[in-house]
Amino acid sequence: MTSINRTREPILKLKDLVIKFNLRGKTLTAIRSASLELYKGESLAIVGESGSGKSVLTKSCMGLLDANGWIDSGEIIYKGYDMSTYKVEKDWLKIRGKEIAMVFQDPMTSLNPLKTIGKQVQETLELHQKYLNKGDAKTATYDLLTSVGIDNPEKRYKQYPHEFSGGMRQRIVIAIAVACRPEILICDEPTTALDVTIQAQIIELLESLQRVYDLTIIYITHDLGVVAHVADRVAVMYAGEIVEVGTADEIFYEPIHPYTNALLSSLPQLGVKGEVLSAIKGTPPNLFKTIKGDAFAPRNPNALKVDFLHEPPMVQVSPTHKAKTWLLDPRAPKVPISENVIRLKNEWGSSE
Amino acid sequence: MIKYALKRSFQSLGTLFIVVTVVFLLMRLMPEEGYFGSGFEKLDEVQKEAILKNMGLRDPLVIQLKNFYIRLVQFDFGTSTTYRPNVSVNEIIKDKIPYSLWLGLSSVFISMIVGIASGITMARNKNGFLDKLGTLYIVIINAVPAAVYYLFLQLYLTKFLNLPILFDVDRPISWILPIISMSLGSIAAYAMWMRRYMVDELNKDYIKLARAKGMKSKSIMTSHVMRNALVPMVQYFPASILMAIGGSLYIESLYSIPGMGGLLVDSIQRQDNALVQALVLIFSAISIFGLLMGDILMAMVDPRIKFGNSGGGR
Amino acid sequence: MKLKTHDRLVEHIADDLFEFANADTDNSEIAGYSNYSYWRSTVQVFLKNKTAVLFLGVIVILLLFTMIQPVLPNQKDPTFIHINPETFMQFRNVKPGTEFWFGTNAIGQDLWARIWSGTRTSLLIGFAVGLFEVVIGIIIGTLWGYVKKLDRIITEIYNVWNNIPTTVILILLTYIFRPSLSTLIFAMAITGWLSMARLVRNLVTIIRDREYNMASRCLGTPTYRILTKNMLPYLVSVIMLRVALAIPMAIGAEVFLTYIGLGLPVQIPSLGNLVNEGRVLMMSQSLRYQLFFPAIVISMITISFYVMGNAFADAADPKNHV
Repeated sequence: MTSINRTREPILKLKDLVIKFNLRGKTLTAIRSASLELYKGESLAIVGESGSGKSVLTKSCMGLLDANGWIDSGEIIYKGYDMSTYKVEKDWLKIRGKEIAMVFQDPMTSLNPLKTIGKQVQETLELHQKYLNKGDAKTATYDLLTSVGIDNPEKRYKQYPHEFSGGMRQRIVIAIAVACRPEILICDEPTTALDVTIQAQIIELLESLQRVYDLTIIYITHDLGVVAHVADRVAVMYAGEIVEVGTADEIFYEPIHPYTNALLSSLPQLGVKGEVLSAIKGTPPNLFKTIKGDAFAPRNPNALKVDFLHEPPMVQVSPTHKAKTWLLDPRAPKVPISENVIRLKNEWGSSE
Repeated sequence: MIKYALKRSFQSLGTLFIVVTVVFLLMRLMPEEGYFGSGFEKLDEVQKEAILKNMGLRDPLVIQLKNFYIRLVQFDFGTSTTYRPNVSVNEIIKDKIPYSLWLGLSSVFISMIVGIASGITMARNKNGFLDKLGTLYIVIINAVPAAVYYLFLQLYLTKFLNLPILFDVDRPISWILPIISMSLGSIAAYAMWMRRYMVDELNKDYIKLARAKGMKSKSIMTSHVMRNALVPMVQYFPASILMAIGGSLYIESLYSIPGMGGLLVDSIQRQDNALVQALVLIFSAISIFGLLMGDILMAMVDPRIKFGNSGGGR
Repeated sequence: MKLKTHDRLVEHIADDLFEFANADTDNSEIAGYSNYSYWRSTVQVFLKNKTAVLFLGVIVILLLFTMIQPVLPNQKDPTFIHINPETFMQFRNVKPGTEFWFGTNAIGQDLWARIWSGTRTSLLIGFAVGLFEVVIGIIIGTLWGYVKKLDRIITEIYNVWNNIPTTVILILLTYIFRPSLSTLIFAMAITGWLSMARLVRNLVTIIRDREYNMASRCLGTPTYRILTKNMLPYLVSVIMLRVALAIPMAIGAEVFLTYIGLGLPVQIPSLGNLVNEGRVLMMSQSLRYQLFFPAIVISMITISFYVMGNAFADAADPKNHV
């Protein structure tokens, strides 16, 4: 894993980002003031339940929010420019694919079923690099296909998506994403739709591409196994907020926020035979409503009274670690570390 | 691909066989006066029997059916009884086809171009003014019976545009109104499906990827959305082109166009069994053949079909 | 900046709030997403479509009016030929006025009464066709989907049927069986059951094989509950749509068949017969009202049903509920 250079300026910086959507005539706040930094060359994982806003957060960095969504306030600073002010497509075209690229969850639907694989990859290359002739572009496409582990690219070039397996298609999608050497690669649940055996291969491919192209990668996932394997840093999201950020070790072995704790405790790998698997009770809050206090409080068995009344502040615990919980207030009682987290440290911590 | 085309052709042949048989059997249920032509009242029972026997209508059904197949294979559709007594159906149709074909083809191409262009415009301006205007047009054309708005077109367009009310081959200006009338319905259909398919495509994941990789909305529209939306449309092109031969029943008789559609209406009104039977078979055969061509064309355009075995129907 | 204001706030928070609340986390389930009801959402989405609501109103008024019209005061018999008591001649082609609201036709029958009587006939055809389509469609569709042995045969029949233009079938059947009310209904119903049967068949296979239903069954949900909760809402909306669209289709087909000489006998007032009678007189400016009135009523009915049916189908689609 790459070490984190804290002295360097972040390559991407989200500041107090608020994103809202219009649904059924009502306004939904999908992101409630999120701040996050991304450093060059690192792998950052964003974890959280479905609906916590992971995807929305990253889509906003590429101007890919659905038509009914908008950035209400806050900034998205990339290389010194505030992208949250981008209104027209022309501005985003300079970013998409070239600076920031994305790999989507389902490789079965991410490719146009009626175009050959080669055409779809080549299309991307031709978008950003002006090739002198078709032949050069084609050769570049072959090279790219080889680099993502597709054998016999000349033959594969002419084939259609339905002639590829899920894992192969995801490789094509990755080839399209890295075609223009982006700075940042956003992987939105890149392995969720794949077989377990294929998952590892795709993760390996991403890691090797990261080394070759010097990529900064954001993984969006709810698979903590993947996170443990690839991430340098982890951001935990809940109900449109980032509740805890830290290095992977900090998040896994010294979690502070009750939600992070609950998330880790529910890892099936930690289940003890004969014991009921730990699960987080309840459902995430309704984002149509204004949330009072700590959003997680209603589901937190150890919630404090203050959690229901006031929003907790984000508190820095170490230079790399911060969490948004009242537990860090000096007046708060000590909450015992969950057994599961201790077990996690014993099982995974020793092998690292 | 060839295997699929063969299999699909075989299926169509089977369909045609069934249709021919069913139409033949149904026609046997008809009152028999349709076979005599004019002067029917003057005949007595014995004479009628003799004529029917002579026509082979008193043979056992199986023999009749066999003879019917044999004649059909030789493209012999029998002779007209009341419309133009004792003239062969082929002879009658020969003069009619060109009118229907030329008018029909002009209408098909106009509707394809105008309809698909409108559908694209509507999808690109989804929920905008043009989309709403187009939807209004589609609703009116689909809801109001064609028979009603055809009359109003004939009534008012002839007046405002100073066009002739009746069709005259030698005056191309008299072609305009029938072609416009024929096209209105299919323009609405093409526009509706094109819009629907494009909107469907726009919601697919690969569009998100295309956007994420930095393609312009315009290029996505042309090289992904429109292209993919046209594929399911292609299936119906051959059928609509071929059906032009059949002409439009209503338009042709409204404007007195001596075409195939008008012929069917006339033969129905004169109770000419042989002619009705022949025309029904021809129309069905054209439709079956058109849909077959459509499916084969579809298999050529859509790479996914070669591997599946689905086909037929819609 | 935000953090600073927060810091100030933090100090104002009373110390005793930093105790465990011992709240019951089970309650958080209720605090979650709103409880969704299929029919309520359907009605809500439908009511939001102002045009559809307007047309629904038109339909309700039309239906009520056509039904009670014969018993209203001052209504005339649709087939009675009115004779002028002074001249003993028929009231031919009388212009619309106080006596004959929509005027009279070429043989002295009251057009107003004929239009509403024709509307009744056409609506009867439409509802009957819609009902037949639904019944035949559901029976055949269910057999098609559930009985594996029948699947191939019905699929073949479907393919054959689907290859022949509807118009040809309609013409052939009415030609062979001679035009009458029941022939028309029969011919239209037999061309219309196809799409309904296929829809039901798809539904059945969905019920049988779709993962959420299998999951539901694995969790021990009784079949009747799957049917009522997962299938019925969809089926009811499909039926509503088919019946709503069967009416404009039936009216259009009736007008068309009448024109080519395969419509109802002239003695029965129907919208098709009225249009046809009006068409003959169309070129004479002063008699054009005999085409206009039926045409306006037809368009009003067909557009209303078409728009309302489609709006309901949109509203019934759970995809539009979000």
